[in-house]
Amino acid sequence: MTAWEGLAHGFGVALQADVLIYCLLGVTLGTFIGVLPGIGAMAAISLLLPITFYISPEAALVMLAGVYYGAQYGGAVASILLRLPGTPQSAVTTLDGYPMARQGRAGVALFVSMVSSFAGSMLGIVVLVVLAGWLSQVATAFRAADYAAMMVLGLVAASTIGSDRPAKAFAMVTLGLILGCVGTDVNSGAQRFTFGQSELMDGINLVALAMGLFGVAEVIGNIRNAERHAAPERVTFRQMMPTRDDLRRMPGATLRGTGLGSFFGALPGTGSTLSSFLSYALERRIARHPERFGNGAVEGVAGPEAANNAAAITAFVPTLTLGIPGDPIMALMLGALVIHGIQPGPEMLTARPDMFWGLVVSFGIGNLLLLILNLPLIGIWVSMLRIPFRFLYPAILIFVCLGVYSVRGSAFDIATVAVVGVVGYLLALARFSPALLLLGFVLGPLIETNLRRAMLISRGDPMVFLERPIACGFVIASAALILLSIWRRRIAADSH
Amino acid sequence: MKQQLIGTGNIAGVGATITRRAALAAAAAFALTTPAFAQEWPTGPVHVYVGFPAGSSPDLLARIITEPLAEKLGQPVVVENKPGAGGVIGVQQMLAAADDGHSFGTTINGPLTTAGRMMPDLGYDVATDIQPVALIATSPLVLAVSGTSEVADLASFIDLAKAEPGALAYGSVGQGSGAHLTAELFNNAAGIEMLHVPFTAYAEVTTSIIGGEIDAGFMAPSAALPHVAGGKMKMLGVTSAEPFAQIPDVPVIAGNAGLPADFKAELWNAFIAPAGTDPAIVERLNTEVNAILSDAEVQKKLLDMGWQAAGGSAEDLAARITEDTEMWGAVIDKVGAAQ
Repeated sequence: MTAWEGLAHGFGVALQADVLIYCLLGVTLGTFIGVLPGIGAMAAISLLLPITFYISPEAALVMLAGVYYGAQYGGAVASILLRLPGTPQSAVTTLDGYPMARQGRAGVALFVSMVSSFAGSMLGIVVLVVLAGWLSQVATAFRAADYAAMMVLGLVAASTIGSDRPAKAFAMVTLGLILGCVGTDVNSGAQRFTFGQSELMDGINLVALAMGLFGVAEVIGNIRNAERHAAPERVTFRQMMPTRDDLRRMPGATLRGTGLGSFFGALPGTGSTLSSFLSYALERRIARHPERFGNGAVEGVAGPEAANNAAAITAFVPTLTLGIPGDPIMALMLGALVIHGIQPGPEMLTARPDMFWGLVVSFGIGNLLLLILNLPLIGIWVSMLRIPFRFLYPAILIFVCLGVYSVRGSAFDIATVAVVGVVGYLLALARFSPALLLLGFVLGPLIETNLRRAMLISRGDPMVFLERPIACGFVIASAALILLSIWRRRIAADSH
Repeated sequence: MKQQLIGTGNIAGVGATITRRAALAAAAAFALTTPAFAQEWPTGPVHVYVGFPAGSSPDLLARIITEPLAEKLGQPVVVENKPGAGGVIGVQQMLAAADDGHSFGTTINGPLTTAGRMMPDLGYDVATDIQPVALIATSPLVLAVSGTSEVADLASFIDLAKAEPGALAYGSVGQGSGAHLTAELFNNAAGIEMLHVPFTAYAEVTTSIIGGEIDAGFMAPSAALPHVAGGKMKMLGVTSAEPFAQIPDVPVIAGNAGLPADFKAELWNAFIAPAGTDPAIVERLNTEVNAILSDAEVQKKLLDMGWQAAGGSAEDLAARITEDTEMWGAVIDKVGAAQ
């Protein structure tokens, strides 16, 4: 079956009334759970799972997928308005989205994020259709050494974002790496820093950490400093419209973000968080005036949002072409297929083309629905800023607690949020960047596991990082980046 | 987990409402012949704690049992997902819940057998805190290699491993996991040496085997099966005593290629209660679970997921726990995986 026949076939599946309705249901729910801090796609999908027993497998998969990528749209809303990332992927959107909101440009920031999200998703679908075969080969060609080297590059590239002092940035990344060590050591099974708490055996909960560092810390900060945001009385369509300057800056950032997101999304286990950080780092590095970043640069919203949405689409590549779920949420979706007696695997594309193409077409329809749904909602979201703090902030705290609890039903995680919130407030007072801590926390365990696995398989020979072309390429790129930034600093110091 | 409670409560509740009248009639009939508890228990929703997230294999298995159980008990049966620490958190939470005869659990073998050896503090003592109810299902593991591997069968695999000790690497889903301990048991029985490379999920092990990074792995049959059809993987042997119904063509390892005839390694899933639960309730649950497991459709659903329906008395399960704790304990001692 050629791609065109496949697409035609896919329209036949995705335009069935019930599939369409479940698609709308999925993306709507996805948007809202994305907006609500802490409640992620994982919790929403496990909540919907029982419903899928009673609907057709196509409708079930389309709905669950809709929640998955719909959450990426919603995630940016609270990041921009309240500096409270709805999902860990959109944490980096706070860096420039929130300053934009403070400048009274919340409507523009939301508009930019929606349009970039849409463009990222749509281009991601094209990548999925055209390059799925190639991407799945890349995914199986990657070995532990390659992953480790790639993550190191990610860490080096993104480790200076959101902070102008290298020492402070370094401190935050390191703290993140250290917190990432908590939990069971994969290689030996030893317990590290768990203090006998079985809740810590699987590590500190990522959602609890993100919500504490951003959400709770922000709430505490505003108790002390409770002046009102510059919220417009009413958002007109004109106030949502980007300026000509914004429009000039957007397309490039969106395209570059999409490229990064499409690639990293397709690799199992790396996903959209890394790609949104990398996109931000890239935009800042190539900008003529990097000092604009952190003060409401449009590229800082457009790039990462395009990246995490494109990644949410190409994340389906290993799942659909290899039958290997790239993250736990994908595994959950495959579980929904198993309930219907469909064995997901590499044969699915040939054995159930209706499923594959129906899903691909539903991505397009779903994203169109998301755009139509979200643009009119912008005015409503911005008007949330008019809610007095004494109502808004307690409500946020309640949603944060609910969201964190929804991850795995653990009261321990709520206590974690409270502690991390206080620490996050102190860090914010001293102007440390919580985004970098999160980056270290996400990448640290991945680097460690892959580095040690690579060394284990090579029987202790570190040359594996230079002998494999992919790994070697990443190592050289990392070294070049470090040298480049030292050189730039020299030049800057000399010119003073 | 609030949403979980509502969501899963509904699904079990659907069955409960449809057949409420039938259940009442059944209860009335029971009242004539059984002791007082049957009229009173269950007086409210029954909670079944599962130590894995919704949608995972242990969770789907639990739901296959809890759905008909809700009909039989005439009360909603709510699955409470409390994931973490390889299923241990689920057992801990079951024990922490109010012990009013309405909190139970289903768990994989780990938290009842090997976890006590792997973790410094389990928070419970299997012998004194857990009341076994019934074995639900068992699952063997298969020895899988890449489809492009030159190895054709178990004998040639062992020959290859013997040719250069330690040269072959195998993947598992973690230190002390069933996949790890089974492989070590196999190493010992076959007299070979392989390098252990721990991963965290079968998806990663699969990628690594297919990509040629590692050579082999003991895997759940349903994790390997999808890749066998397309020629990406080969299954060399199965660890159960008899050929496994989901993969009838795969030879048993026991007695094959010079391995002992009693070689056997099975994972299982069981229904448990907190110790001190009314023996009459345990008896009733055991009866119901066995009745559910004797249904051909339930057996098929389980088999599609790679589980063989088991059943039996509470004492059988207790014996299985003791037996496996000893057997795996010996393996853990040998590889030094314990704390």
